Amino acid sequence: MNQNPLIIYEDQIEKIDQALARLIKGAEAKCALLVDKDGYLITRQGFTHSLDTSALAALLAGSFASTKEIARLVGEPEFSVLFHQGKKDHIHLTLVGERTILVVIFDDRTTIGMVRLYAREIGEDLASILSQSKKETKKVVELGEGFAQSAENRLDDIFKD
Amino acid sequence: MVSINYAFRELSCKIVFYGPGLSGKTTNLRYVHKKIPAQSKGELISLATDTDRTLYFDFLPLNIGEIHGFTTKFQLYTVPGQVYYNATRKLVLRGVDGLVFVADSQRSKMEENKESLNNLAQNLAEYGYEIDHLPMIFQYNKRDLPEIATVQELETLLNPKGLPHFEAVAVKGEGVFDTLKCITKLVLDKTKGEEKIEKKEEVSIAKVKEKEMHFPPKEKTEIPSKPLIVVPEPVGVEIAAQASYKKKVSREPVAPSPESAFAQIPSPVSVNGKKIESKKEKRLFEHKKEEMIKPKEITRPYSEKRKTIIPVPEPREIFLWRWIKNLIKPR
Repeated sequence: MNQNPLIIYEDQIEKIDQALARLIKGAEAKCALLVDKDGYLITRQGFTHSLDTSALAALLAGSFASTKEIARLVGEPEFSVLFHQGKKDHIHLTLVGERTILVVIFDDRTTIGMVRLYAREIGEDLASILSQSKKETKKVVELGEGFAQSAENRLDDIFKD
Repeated sequence: MVSINYAFRELSCKIVFYGPGLSGKTTNLRYVHKKIPAQSKGELISLATDTDRTLYFDFLPLNIGEIHGFTTKFQLYTVPGQVYYNATRKLVLRGVDGLVFVADSQRSKMEENKESLNNLAQNLAEYGYEIDHLPMIFQYNKRDLPEIATVQELETLLNPKGLPHFEAVAVKGEGVFDTLKCITKLVLDKTKGEEKIEKKEEVSIAKVKEKEMHFPPKEKTEIPSKPLIVVPEPVGVEIAAQASYKKKVSREPVAPSPESAFAQIPSPVSVNGKKIESKKEKRLFEHKKEEMIKPKEITRPYSEKRKTIIPVPEPREIFLWRWIKNLIKPR
């Protein structure tokens, strides 16, 4: 279990977004999300405005985690691809690297085969983009000095009965 | 393991409510969801059984707004308390930033509290976390019930290290916000101390989108500017058919026949040295041919136009007039 936080840099996000846009265009999907296994959304592309992406990320990560446990019970290390079929919209999940999940939401304009093909191809690109961060050096960055104090004041405002 | 997304300028923390079954974890979340202003909360998602027991987790996203340029978010999770659901309970702990242990204060539940706490330490250990290194607080719930253990008893049993603790009645909301305030502060304090993430220039999503939208300039195809067609006023028009017998009537220059223009077009067999084979290409060629032989595009020097005076058949009136004239001619 990796305890380090997942670090993604701005230029990587840019590359990832471009790759996701390529996937959406190629596979004619509705939208694509990259989700951390911890349930955090890393980035998204496509028509995501009507979606509650943070909840979606948390639930999909949960779904993926439970599938991993199922895999373990049947003697597989991990199921790398997951597919949810609906009446109109479908979701395709692919494991990318060790810690991220590529989520593609698509409808009947395209086919599962196209999505699978592009997801595999773009997934490899994404994995190589994400692996670059490991090689780079880390710099220490502090949040502003008054951050904790400001946060406390804000919490007092919000969390009042 | 607070997630900091510099691209979106977002800081997300995961807080998990842990505890034995029926201790009031989901009730805590429901109260928070009910009381928090709408702009700060998301939807409360509950993965529960038909009998309203948490099966996997409850999830409540909180957005406390922008602090020092970072949109700060908390994700509140609860675990299924029942012993039976340990497999899913463990999954929720992945990437946890802060823990609230919700203990049931009833004397009869002491054993369950203890067992759940041990289970927490065990599950964390399996992920490689150490319970001592995570921000954690205790909430002694159900303080309004009879037959409850004193805080002192609970402290000695569950919290020998003296971590912060709160008494609560979650159904009425007592102590719920105090607990939440305390854990969020602890998590943020820890974040500030631990943060070791490289910061680079912010990249706005809009910038990326802009790039996507930017298409390469199309290849410049030289469109030969058509010379303006000047249709000269009919020069030398002599309509004076009645006035004189001249048979000259000048007209606008007549376009050369389509056939002559067509003669200049390469034969349909090849275009640019390339053989035309497909039907599509042939159709294209036909289209091109049509365009080329359009009479309106034909231009000729002005002077040439002037000269083109084509004799026209004489009008009927003139003809009749001449015929009558011949008839009445004196012999």
